[in-house]
Amino acid sequence: MFTTELFVQTLIAGVTIGVLYALMALGITFIYSIVKMINWAMGEFYMIGSYLQYMLVVSLLGPDLWYLAIPIAGLGVFILGAIVEPILIKPMFTHSIERKDDYATVVTIALLLLLRNLATGLGGPYQRTPGSNLPTVMLGPLPQSGARVAAFVFALVAIALFYLLLRKTWFGLALRAAAQSRVGVETAGVNILRLDQMAFGIGVALAGIAGALLAPVFLVFPTNGVVTTVKGFEIIVIGGLGSIPGALIAGVLLGVVESLGAAFISSPYQNVYGFLLVIAILLVRPTGLFGERGRLV
Amino acid sequence: MAALLETEGLTKRFGGLTATEDVSISVNAGEIRGLIGPNGAGKTTLVNLITGIYPPSAGEIRLAGARLTGLPPHLVARRGLLRTFQVCRLFGNLSVRENLLLPYLARGAVALTEGAARARDLLQLTKLTRLADAPAKELSGGQRALLQVASGFMLPELRCYVLDEPFAGINPVIKEEIIELIIEANRSRGLTFVIVSHEMAIMRRLCHSISVLAQGRVVSEGTLDEVAGRHEVIAAYLGKGWA
Repeated sequence: MFTTELFVQTLIAGVTIGVLYALMALGITFIYSIVKMINWAMGEFYMIGSYLQYMLVVSLLGPDLWYLAIPIAGLGVFILGAIVEPILIKPMFTHSIERKDDYATVVTIALLLLLRNLATGLGGPYQRTPGSNLPTVMLGPLPQSGARVAAFVFALVAIALFYLLLRKTWFGLALRAAAQSRVGVETAGVNILRLDQMAFGIGVALAGIAGALLAPVFLVFPTNGVVTTVKGFEIIVIGGLGSIPGALIAGVLLGVVESLGAAFISSPYQNVYGFLLVIAILLVRPTGLFGERGRLV
Repeated sequence: MAALLETEGLTKRFGGLTATEDVSISVNAGEIRGLIGPNGAGKTTLVNLITGIYPPSAGEIRLAGARLTGLPPHLVARRGLLRTFQVCRLFGNLSVRENLLLPYLARGAVALTEGAARARDLLQLTKLTRLADAPAKELSGGQRALLQVASGFMLPELRCYVLDEPFAGINPVIKEEIIELIIEANRSRGLTFVIVSHEMAIMRRLCHSISVLAQGRVVSEGTLDEVAGRHEVIAAYLGKGWA
């Protein structure tokens, strides 16, 4: 039954989860913009971020210091990405291979299977949770899960830092230039392969942070990144490839549409509403709301 | 005068197609060398070889005696050899100022202040100060070409600047500005240029000497007036019946 209170509560829940989806989408769109390949293993880096969060909270830091685990989990995933990229992705770009980006994309599918099965082999298929002792937050008269609100705030901070990195640093300038012309930036003296490595690390770290933030909400298990990866790709289609504002707005839009649809139409079809939105955007604006070839920021 | 840029027996094959064959040129320090030839002669391939975009199938490239052969483009740039592109490769979503700052990335983050000051000077010189913070995609075609050429002058270590068709399809006023930039950089910094162009009047005005490429080979060298009368050059442009 429709009530204003339920509507507002659902809207807030949609915005909250949408920003977290956007974090995932940013990682995907960022790696695509620089390395020019789709990283299908993003969900697995999300999963690793959630496992790192779980292990740090349960074994080392304790539930009161959960917030310290988040940057550590992000850093851990960044280091893993920066190690994986030169071993698995870079060889696709340095040897005389045609359709380099296609091969690199296929490699990430193999990586997806490897990481997922490794997680199952090492930790079993069990669902775990780092738990959350955060109290319910009242937004006006409306209660919101403390874990979700905290995840929302941290996601906003991560997105703001990412934005500042791109806009205010020399490294960010090189990244934005590489998003538009790899050859152009290379002939200006920038080592594009090193840039690829850093971009891959940063992109998967964003997924890892999303995983760490959502660990108490969506739990920790070997395939927990599947849904957020799909959402990430939906957001890219809606917002437009390579656009940070596009990813943010589309993330919120997707979160809100799914939440409202689940609350007021039918909850089992929650994922369908997002796909309907994707189809509608594709019909009206195939490049997405803010899409433009090679754009970054 | 000592040679700054040298190629020796430079050959590039793409499968069964030989784009350049046994190209040996020697460009002196402080020289402005023109590279002309009919379409498909291999001029841009030669530029791509020199700047590390393509690895050569055979031959050597040297800059001030140091071997460039096989180096990736970013290391070629860091040795002081920059280039522009025939199809303007400006970064449209970056601001005009950021486009100018890009070659400074090769020097690392420490050069930020110095780079910003140089960019200011170049913006004034190119009359683009007013548009400094606008996205480069908002510039006219001529302004883009001007900005592309000017961005190379940002790098203090620049020793040899390879310009691929810098005057193609732009208006005479901006052409003149680009010519002035080249002349000034050559005179004041002793900068060496290799310029690919079909604009013979400009090439006559700018270039100390010309290399003519046809079917991937250097067929003639000399001043523009010298090479223009040679039968192998006339044959390359007009066909053997005209020579």
